[in-house]
Amino acid sequence: MTFFHFFNCAALTFGPHAVYYKATPLSEYDTFSTCIKAAIVYIVTTLIKFVCFATFLQVSEHDGFDLSQEILKGLIGFLDVAGLYYALTQVSHRSISQNHKFQAVGLGWAFADAVLHRLAPLWVGAKGLEFTWEYLLQGLESNANLVFTVSLAALGSLMWLRKNKPAALVPFIYVSAGILAAMPSITSYLRKGLAWEFPRVVSFELSASLLMAFVTWRLFSACQRPAQ
Amino acid sequence: MRGWWRQQVMGQAVVVMVVMVMSMVVADAAAVVDVYRMIQYDLRGAPMGSRRAALNHHATSGFDVAGADLSRAVVILPVLEVNISSLNEFVQNKGLLGGLLLLLPQRSHESGGGEGDDSDENVGKVLVELEQWLVHNTFQYPVYFAYEDDYVKSVLQEVSANDAAGRPATATTGGYKLVVSVSEAKKIATPTLTNIQGWLPGLRAEGDNSMLPTIAIVASYDTFGAAPALATGSDSNGSGVAMLLELARLFSRLYANPNTRGPYNLLFGLTSGGPYNYNGTQNWLRNFDQRLRESMEYALCLNSVGSSSDHMWLHVSKPPENAFIKQILSEFENVAEGLDLTVELKHKKINISNSRVAWEHEQFSRQRITAATLSQLEEASELLQQTGGIADSRRAVNETVMMRKIKLVAESLARRIYGQQGTQVEVFAAGTNLALSPAYVRSWLDLLGRTPRVAPFLGKNAPIITALHKELAQYTKDASLQHETLDSTFVFYDNTKAQLNVYQVASVTFDFIVALAVGSYLIILFVVLFITTKGVDDFLGVFRKAPSRKFKSS
Repeated sequence: MTFFHFFNCAALTFGPHAVYYKATPLSEYDTFSTCIKAAIVYIVTTLIKFVCFATFLQVSEHDGFDLSQEILKGLIGFLDVAGLYYALTQVSHRSISQNHKFQAVGLGWAFADAVLHRLAPLWVGAKGLEFTWEYLLQGLESNANLVFTVSLAALGSLMWLRKNKPAALVPFIYVSAGILAAMPSITSYLRKGLAWEFPRVVSFELSASLLMAFVTWRLFSACQRPAQ
Repeated sequence: MRGWWRQQVMGQAVVVMVVMVMSMVVADAAAVVDVYRMIQYDLRGAPMGSRRAALNHHATSGFDVAGADLSRAVVILPVLEVNISSLNEFVQNKGLLGGLLLLLPQRSHESGGGEGDDSDENVGKVLVELEQWLVHNTFQYPVYFAYEDDYVKSVLQEVSANDAAGRPATATTGGYKLVVSVSEAKKIATPTLTNIQGWLPGLRAEGDNSMLPTIAIVASYDTFGAAPALATGSDSNGSGVAMLLELARLFSRLYANPNTRGPYNLLFGLTSGGPYNYNGTQNWLRNFDQRLRESMEYALCLNSVGSSSDHMWLHVSKPPENAFIKQILSEFENVAEGLDLTVELKHKKINISNSRVAWEHEQFSRQRITAATLSQLEEASELLQQTGGIADSRRAVNETVMMRKIKLVAESLARRIYGQQGTQVEVFAAGTNLALSPAYVRSWLDLLGRTPRVAPFLGKNAPIITALHKELAQYTKDASLQHETLDSTFVFYDNTKAQLNVYQVASVTFDFIVALAVGSYLIILFVVLFITTKGVDDFLGVFRKAPSRKFKSS
């Protein structure tokens, strides 16, 4: 639907990442290199994931929800968590506080995800004359994804970078992290198994992302107190 | 510092990449429909038909839609709802239009055979009138035909609903956009007319060295219509061609055996250029050798013999009192009685100074060869009338009655050839190996009813010409092709078929609203994140920075 529409959708898809970087103290502490490193780790992780997909998954004839295949996909999806672990712990960063580290890692990760998954369809589709709501919805989805990734990175930093955590909260941390990691499987189940339409799935993602962000925030601040 | 510089470089790289990639255009339509362009031609230099091919406008459902800009809209009209007089008024007032899309009723896939019901006849009449009006007018905008399938119907319904609700499709309100991307049509430089002929030599008596008399059987095979890609002309003149081929088949059987070979040569001719004053026939005759011309006893032209009517006309240009004409007529009448058909004579004088040639036999008469046209049509048609357009569908041809008419011609010719005038002998009796073959006739009628045959667009090597040539070669000797150029009274332009892309576009207003929404979302997000992470004071500090600096400097 012409370049105007393309710009609108691109702004909606990639704008929040830039805004997040500029608006928060991330820009002041020059955490750009961290974001780039996280993006690179994401690309490598995705490549490994796709190799595993190609090796272990079968191409299904019908579009329905095949439980065993989806479980396999979910397990391979946990490679994402491994990747985040690597980005948070192993890659050397300049001395920035933990607070900023997980945000920068999450931001870089989500931006790479948005570009790789959404830029090409947006480019090919949104420029045509035909109008569909799809690309605006994809933009909203990428927003939700940003929140998910930052929450997951926060929980990850809690799990691996922080030594003293109140014991009662530990299971909650792991459970929330598990839910976040499994989010792609959940959405694919909704889309294929329950045959939800795209707008409904996107609204679910948006609300879930806000919910999980809230939970993560509470967990994070709860863990903050004993350290101080 | 380094970080800032890096950001600058990256920013510029991104801009360059974006500009480069933006120059690639990708098209992707919701649906693609086959459309057939209206004919574009010049008659004696005067431009006729639709003069444009490319189309890129919004769709609208009628001429009276409030708020629609007709010069930038394509009007979609089902042919059955066209009011020709009001359309004519619009065109005569030089109304500007973005384009016209005419919807033809969904074609049924039954082959002919018969009655057809009243609605078919109505559709036929409407189409004939519309085609005649279209062909004789000039349109400065593209005119296309399409078949009305479910998708097209739903698009038209939506467009009508929007128009009725006062929301016509324009650039600011969005709606359906119809795009045909083709280049403008070019003149066809050398339009070729191809005549196909076949020769069945007769048996000369012992010691007789003179040339045997020849009877010619001729039919023109090409058509003309408002949409050249749809002009399949089943009755005009697919029926004549099928009759000629069946006659060739029957007589080739008779002539295969010298014992049954008649003392007449038979010349079969499939001519082109019928709609254009039988221009191809004229050229064919001009190339006749003098001996052949002198030996020609008479020529029978077949034109439109496929209807269910029992009544046939024999059109002649020699006066009816002429003895030869009377002979031929009585031969036909004798056979016709036994077949429940009637043949009536119709005389039309030729006017040599008038270039209009209404019947094919007139071209023979102008060359002083006796000829007649057998047809179910009573009146001579005007230029570009009755030329086998869209309205002339396969269903208009009645095979059962047509088989009787073929028998009429075959038996009459056989009686003349074998000198059996006045007797009641039946040469092509059913159950013999000389029986007529309805299957043969039907298969040719089906093929011709599917093949558009407008001569300038056929070229020299069109499959239908090759097929007709091969068929005549099978039954006759010396089957040959003759290529001529159509005379310059008629000039044709190409581009007969295209694909229509239908897009559903949103309005520019919508784009603005979305831009506004996304922009405000990003600004709010920025503000929220700023305040939550750095605090309200810092945020307000952004606005207070300028004055404080001023204070400091002073």
